[in-house]
Amino acid sequence: MAAEPIALRLPWVEGNPSLRQITDDVCRPLATRPSKSWMACFAVALAALTLGAVSAGYEVATGIGTWGLNKSVGWAFDITNFVFWIGIGHAGTLISAILMLFRQKWRTSISRSAEGMTIFAVMCAGLFPLLHMGRPWFAFWVFPYPNSRGPLWVNFRSPLLWDVVAISTYFTISFVFWFVGMIPDLATLRDRTPAGWRKRLYALLSLGWDGSRRTWSRYETLSLILAGLATPLVVSVHSIVSMDFATSVIPGWHTTLFPPYFVAGAVFSGFGMVMTLLILTRRVMALERYITLRHLEAMAKILLVTGSLVGFCYLTELFLAWYGGNPYERAAFWNRALGPYAWAYWTMMTCNLFVPQLMWWRRLRTSVPVLFVVSLLVNVGMWFERFVIIVTSLHRDFLPSSWTMYKPTWVEVGILIGSFGLFFTLFLLFVQVLPIIAMWEVKSVRAGEAKS
Amino acid sequence: MSSWFEKGEKMSERRYWRSIEEMRGDPLPRPEPPGPEDFAGAGESRRDFLKLMGFSVTAAAAAALTGCNRIPERQAVPLLAQPEGTLPGVESWYATTCGGCPSGCGLLVKTRDGRPIKVEGNPQSPLSGGATCAVGQATVLSLYDDQRLKGPLLHGRQASWAETDAFVTARLDAIASRGLRVALVTETIHSPSTRRLIEGFQRRFPGALHAVHEPVSLAALRHANDLSFGRPVVPRFRFDRARVIVGLEADFLGAWLSPVEFARAYARGRRPEGATPLRHYQFESGLSLTGSNADRRVAVLPSELGVVALALAGRLATRSGAADPGPALPKLAPPPCDPRLLDTVADDLWRHRGESLVVCGVNDPAVQVAVNRVNSLLGNIGHTIDLDRPSWQRQGDDGAVTALIEAMERGEVQGVLFWGVNPAYDHPQAGRFVRALAKIPLKVSFADRLDETAGHADAVAPDHHFLESWGDAEPVAGSFGLRQPAIAPLFATRAAEESLQRWMGEAPDALSHLGHLREVWRSEVFPRQERWVSFDDFWDHALQDGVFTPPAETDKQAAPPPADRGDLAAAAAAILADHAAARAAGGQGGLEVRLYEKIGMRDGRHANNPWLQELPDPVTRVTWGNYVSVAPALAAEQGLEDGDVVLLRRGETALELPVQVQPGQPKQAVSVALGYGRTRAGKVGDGVGANAFPLLAAAGGFSRGWTAGFHIEKTGRRQALAATQLHHSMEGRPIVREATLADFQRNPAAGNEEHPHLQTLWAERPQEGHHWGMAIDLNSCLGCGACVVACQAENNVAVVGRDEVRRGREMHWIRIDRYYNGPADDPQTVYQPMMCQHCGNAPCETVCPVLATVHSSDGINQQIYNRCVGTRYCANNCPYKVRRFNWFQYANNDRFDYAMNSDLGRMVLNPDVVVRSRGVMEKCSLCTQRIQAGKLRAEAAGRPLADGDIRTACQQACPAEAIVFGDLAAAGSEVSRQQDSPRFYHVLEELNTRPVVGYLTRVRNVPEKA
Repeated sequence: MAAEPIALRLPWVEGNPSLRQITDDVCRPLATRPSKSWMACFAVALAALTLGAVSAGYEVATGIGTWGLNKSVGWAFDITNFVFWIGIGHAGTLISAILMLFRQKWRTSISRSAEGMTIFAVMCAGLFPLLHMGRPWFAFWVFPYPNSRGPLWVNFRSPLLWDVVAISTYFTISFVFWFVGMIPDLATLRDRTPAGWRKRLYALLSLGWDGSRRTWSRYETLSLILAGLATPLVVSVHSIVSMDFATSVIPGWHTTLFPPYFVAGAVFSGFGMVMTLLILTRRVMALERYITLRHLEAMAKILLVTGSLVGFCYLTELFLAWYGGNPYERAAFWNRALGPYAWAYWTMMTCNLFVPQLMWWRRLRTSVPVLFVVSLLVNVGMWFERFVIIVTSLHRDFLPSSWTMYKPTWVEVGILIGSFGLFFTLFLLFVQVLPIIAMWEVKSVRAGEAKS
Repeated sequence: MSSWFEKGEKMSERRYWRSIEEMRGDPLPRPEPPGPEDFAGAGESRRDFLKLMGFSVTAAAAAALTGCNRIPERQAVPLLAQPEGTLPGVESWYATTCGGCPSGCGLLVKTRDGRPIKVEGNPQSPLSGGATCAVGQATVLSLYDDQRLKGPLLHGRQASWAETDAFVTARLDAIASRGLRVALVTETIHSPSTRRLIEGFQRRFPGALHAVHEPVSLAALRHANDLSFGRPVVPRFRFDRARVIVGLEADFLGAWLSPVEFARAYARGRRPEGATPLRHYQFESGLSLTGSNADRRVAVLPSELGVVALALAGRLATRSGAADPGPALPKLAPPPCDPRLLDTVADDLWRHRGESLVVCGVNDPAVQVAVNRVNSLLGNIGHTIDLDRPSWQRQGDDGAVTALIEAMERGEVQGVLFWGVNPAYDHPQAGRFVRALAKIPLKVSFADRLDETAGHADAVAPDHHFLESWGDAEPVAGSFGLRQPAIAPLFATRAAEESLQRWMGEAPDALSHLGHLREVWRSEVFPRQERWVSFDDFWDHALQDGVFTPPAETDKQAAPPPADRGDLAAAAAAILADHAAARAAGGQGGLEVRLYEKIGMRDGRHANNPWLQELPDPVTRVTWGNYVSVAPALAAEQGLEDGDVVLLRRGETALELPVQVQPGQPKQAVSVALGYGRTRAGKVGDGVGANAFPLLAAAGGFSRGWTAGFHIEKTGRRQALAATQLHHSMEGRPIVREATLADFQRNPAAGNEEHPHLQTLWAERPQEGHHWGMAIDLNSCLGCGACVVACQAENNVAVVGRDEVRRGREMHWIRIDRYYNGPADDPQTVYQPMMCQHCGNAPCETVCPVLATVHSSDGINQQIYNRCVGTRYCANNCPYKVRRFNWFQYANNDRFDYAMNSDLGRMVLNPDVVVRSRGVMEKCSLCTQRIQAGKLRAEAAGRPLADGDIRTACQQACPAEAIVFGDLAAAGSEVSRQQDSPRFYHVLEELNTRPVVGYLTRVRNVPEKA
């Protein structure tokens, strides 16, 4: 009886490959020349990155006035993109840390790429606070360090400062986690690679890994500690990002719901992006055997859960705007749903609340094309969520005399495209030069499945 | 341990050790940079040598670096001999008379290091009482206008004054010798000395015409006063004595006659705490600043205003029991509004006989005769209407200019001199005028720039800016002003008076004009006083004061008011004929067009002044250009929206402008502002808007100000209005609180009952020393915008231009929010000046990551520009949206070629205030530089700071005295008194931001009926 449900389950690695086969499959792209489809993707990503660089260069040289902001709407695309990318960056740590602590074996195939995605997304996110400053050349002033200007300190009451701390911590931990997770695989690569600079590089990066029982034991301990350190960050980073809004006085921002709401949204959008990337990667890099339909289905279920959570938050917000009796807040939500940016609001509602409900149906959540479209829509919806929160709250706040409309310029759109360019450039380089599947972890799962 | 003692130094030469090394007697690091002699010391070790070398290299590098960063010295010339009375960094004040318009308000000019940087009203001026209007505030920028002529022009090219004089004198003499006439076309001249000079000119060139041209004149008013009272003058309107005011299309708070004087009296009369606060009815077509302030405004068509005047005359005649109540008017023409309302107005007026005032801005003698009858029936002549001491502020004579054109066409006039006028732009028949001009052999202009008229002139002899010139003024009979230069002429310009003197062959030296001025004052003004024995004493004091009112005049009792001999029947016939014609035109869907002057742009002479171009119209909130204001009902009917470009056409006459949907506009009338569409004003003003002067129809020799029979045609194009406010309703929020006077008298806190009980999480900070605060009386504030320009001048606020205003990026630190309330065809309007509220719990302060905005100990929310990195979080989190971000570099940037892009333009900058660079946030500082200066003045004088010592720029300029600034911690200060008023509240006080700026409720003196 006990064996039956296990037998009914699909294996997490298909085709029962040998351990050597796994190593060969994962390492193959690293040894061969990039495929044509990779080259095409890379060219597109690089072009987008160039456009972003030109736009950002123009903005920094000329002024924030090249954007569509005005006296009432001081943030729009900039902070929307920032929160969007930070949100994307959430799936990686969630998969590596929380799912690891919960011993979710299915995460092993996707954790490496999700972690890579996290790092690149946080890098993209980090660009925007820098670019959105009126004087980005003084960006270092936001760091608390002893200086000769008084010394003049930062404002520890400012959520922007909390952001600086939270995001730099998050980036550091994510990076360490990602790198540490790769050490055994780097050692594998070192051992496979013929002598030369590559071998020396892998040797350097693998930090003298010797595969001994003691090394493994310490490695497991370190992984657990890092997972323990990273877990609170999953919750804290986006909570703190949400405080950029929650601690303000602006109706539509000033709400205590924001921290859990933002975390749920971040996980939701992160899984959306992981799904998009993996559907592409498993195809382009021929890794369908390791990133199976079962993985996708598991992620689809997470999308369903987190999407519903996010949708619940949306409805809570609406209810409280009405029930709370604050006329300004009521007006802000009325304006969101029915005002001039209602199209953005309903795009958000559709993509984030209604579309994930399709995942209730097994047939839909096991169809790769459907999942791909859904994951894209989730990304669109979550971008619009931030846009709605930021722009519709600012463009009509307390004094109607200052109500304005916001319209982006090509510079802002260019920088948004450029951030995608940066992200995909880095990700494509990553899949080409590093093992995107954690071989040692997949082998352990494979071994476990073989045993049962 | 006590090395200094061991070295044999005396105890009395007590030295304190500065470090442990010194205490121990160890060698100290040398504080001074070493010189060569330090290297001469032979016993130094290698270590010392390296130390010294390191020090020297660093010092040299530091010197080189600072050298690179230094502003390049251009023509810096040190003062060998300090000019008398000039102290670097210390301001000097000169009294003068404003030349922005002919109202002749007294000014004080603030100069720093020899350059005028700000003008303020002269508190001794009996007209302005120390206030100014927006135009007056902006005149200082016109002084530094790059487009001013740098010297005379002869046939369009630069010439010397000698050549110009030779040319003009030869032509003048040739004309005179042939017995032909010359004409002098001037703006209103109320200067006694200049009038004397013109009389001399007319003697020197016999038959010389003097035509006073004003694009928007009060000629009909003068003519009607001649008809009614035998006095062809503009009376002095005494708004200070009126308890009930009825305005008929007269924008007396905005651009009509003497708005600063009127606004001050009006605002004082409107205070609800007063015994009988005045009540104001306004009948008008377009919603004017004046109408928007009225207690009851009635929208009527321009053609119906005469009917209203007749209806009032009829009703008052009945009430007065006069034998002849006039023709049975109501039967002839049904009044354009509810007749019961007219009854209410008539009752109200009748109850306040002798202390009521009916003013009419329609330039039509028939209407004015009817208004005169109303005023004389009410016994207002001699009380609120002073014909004995009339105003000389508006002398434009439409008929004289028309006659001149005819004389030019007939060839009788062979020489024309233009002084302060620009008829090629602003005459309704400018084309005809220019054609007639082509035949004239001598055309001279005194224009300060190559404007539309000067472009046709043979010689241009540019006049000084008024801040560079001597002069005098008598804007109102018996009220004199003097004008003195506050700066030496910037360019090779010359006073027009001096040019005239030279061409008349008089006294050829630069002081001749001043000599003439003194002579006139010696003979005409000096004898009218007894206080000063010597003329020089008198002159010095008058010059220092800037104004002089002969003491005897103030006591002189007026003779009994002249009887009203106006022919009301004839006037009624004319009015009704006009009305019938307009109705006939309107019957075919024709629209009446009302032409008006905007508060900033007036007749267009200041079109090149970017401060005025960017000053939002008080009512529409639109900057940079004019538009066709249409009623919401008409817009709905024709499918028009804000910014739709339409053609306003009647036959050949057409005007292409965007539409602005204006609540309160009557459906069959549209309003268009004059003063736009300049072609040769300069780089700022050219091509902004369209010129509506050709629409000014002359009726019976008067430019009437409205015309009928126009149609709107859509062009299908769009041109976004550059508006600073896009939403016009308060959305039911308690932002501007108001009450009726009746409610207020029952309960002074009426309309202001709700105050939230709030608690704060923050620890209460003890407040020590000063605590600056401000109270703004929304009942006094008229929305005129003088504060906006005053703040701009004081605080170096950038001009951003039309496109940036369209993007919602104007930089004004103080704005005037305007909200409508009620139905779209009959809205109530409220104004609210809004600037940084300097919150005690400032939302902006907590969110700045770098502490660029912090609170001062005296209660001011400070912005530290050079710490700001520009995250804009503070602006987002500001509930009042008063923070302004430098989206671009606004100074020294060809993209913003307005006031701060040239050395000349930058001369206007206030050296006490930083010019902000791009990427930083800025906002109202409560004029922190003035607070500092006030404290220093008090300290230097060794006295405590008194209430009223420090006045912010907005407060100083306000004609309505609506803004009070002061120390909330000082008991008994005016601001704390006002903040204790039951009318006082904070905007958005439920947010617990605890501002120090607050407002007093608007109290509307609405009539009980209607």
